[in-house]
Amino acid sequence: MTDQLPDAIVAGPKGPALDLLHIVQINEEIKSVVAVAFKINIMALNAIFLAKRAGTAALGFGVLSNELRSFSSQLRETMLSLNALIHASVDGVSAMLQDSRYNDILERAVVLASKNKHLQEVIEQRENATDQFRSKLSGLRRALRSSVDDAYRLVELGGVLAKSAKIEAAYGAGFSSSLSQVSGEFDGIVEEIRTSLDTLRKSSFFRG
Amino acid sequence: MKTTQTIFQDGDHKWLAIVRDPAKADFLIDTNEYLITHGGQGMLLDPGGLEIFPAVFSAVATEFDPSAISAIFASHQDPDVISSLALWLEFNPQLRCHVSWMWSGFIPHFGGVASTFAPIPDEGMTISLAGLSLQAVPAHYLHSSGNHNLYDRTAKMFFSGDIGAALLPADQQGLFVKDFSTHIRHAEGFHRRWMGSNEAKHQWCSRVSQLDIDMLCPQHGAIYQGEDVQRFINWFDSLQVGVLRA
Ligand SMILES: [Fe+2]
Ligand SMILES: [Fe+2]
Repeated sequence: MTDQLPDAIVAGPKGPALDLLHIVQINEEIKSVVAVAFKINIMALNAIFLAKRAGTAALGFGVLSNELRSFSSQLRETMLSLNALIHASVDGVSAMLQDSRYNDILERAVVLASKNKHLQEVIEQRENATDQFRSKLSGLRRALRSSVDDAYRLVELGGVLAKSAKIEAAYGAGFSSSLSQVSGEFDGIVEEIRTSLDTLRKSSFFRG
Repeated sequence: MKTTQTIFQDGDHKWLAIVRDPAKADFLIDTNEYLITHGGQGMLLDPGGLEIFPAVFSAVATEFDPSAISAIFASHQDPDVISSLALWLEFNPQLRCHVSWMWSGFIPHFGGVASTFAPIPDEGMTISLAGLSLQAVPAHYLHSSGNHNLYDRTAKMFFSGDIGAALLPADQQGLFVKDFSTHIRHAEGFHRRWMGSNEAKHQWCSRVSQLDIDMLCPQHGAIYQGEDVQRFINWFDSLQVGVLRA
């Protein structure tokens, strides 16, 4: 036995294993966005309540709070559909990982038993199956990418709402400082989600 | 690549031993695979792990058409015994895997569907290979709790799975036991530590002593033949097993 690590371990994951690593990272990022989307919903409810107390001085803020609340529920829905796509992708990538492991071993067998026709046929059949896996996965990759883009656009809209709420807060008379605080928090959180989604859009998974 | 040696032959009734791969990584325990052929069909005994599938497959293919392997006999559930199952099934999805009923729900984690598995009851059973009767002989707790050996009465050949296994040094890789007393030193630690029950061991020794055996073929190490078969059984009968420190 040797103390040196095999090249494959030193080099780290590649192929479907690397895809699996990326998709797991995407999944973690999305989980954190979903958790934040929940927070926005509660914050919007509080803002609506605050706007009611401020009365006519915060009419504009009230309207925006309602918009932010509907934004948060839209965001949650988008995230749920992203989740479904993520699960399908994790499933697809895991299947590819097992498939490529078996292919590697069978290819090693064909090198040693090059004359065996049936083995060649088995490998050819597997290639067809591998192609199917691959095209299903690239469909999922595209769907996931466009879903992340949709979510990103939605969040940009959320950012505009949060910024407008910040402006409206200034007209809140005696409630101005608490309205500013709430709208500032909105803005911060929407920005946090936007950064997360931007990271997701750059994931190497979409370049695979 | 492994080498294939014919260790019994009577017409197309053969026992092939698939052994010793110089290219195998040291950290994998070395295994012996056996192929029984009869009437144009083959049964592979303990086909081995996923990693060594290419070496086993190619060695088999030099002597016998792998598509004619209709059955696998798995002595027990260990990865060095049966983790290559999924790949053999790729090759022949109709393949049947004979294994203790205890593992027929566990081994599918390596591959296979419900119809792949032919469960062997605790008391053993007769398994037919193109009309040749093979006897699954109980060897429970030696070491696996659901464990069988395979006896070919016609050929007087006995596949003993992990029983009789030896971890041989690099310079003593002969296929047959030459000098029993030297050889058995490489088997002692393994049997003390891996085998779990003195009672089960005693029963196995009585059962197997009654069989007419020319060769006792383990999954690791070297094959015992002639007088060495009974010598091994006697040695094993008097060995204290289930010992944490050998
Ligand atoms: Fe074992
Ligand atoms: Fe073993």
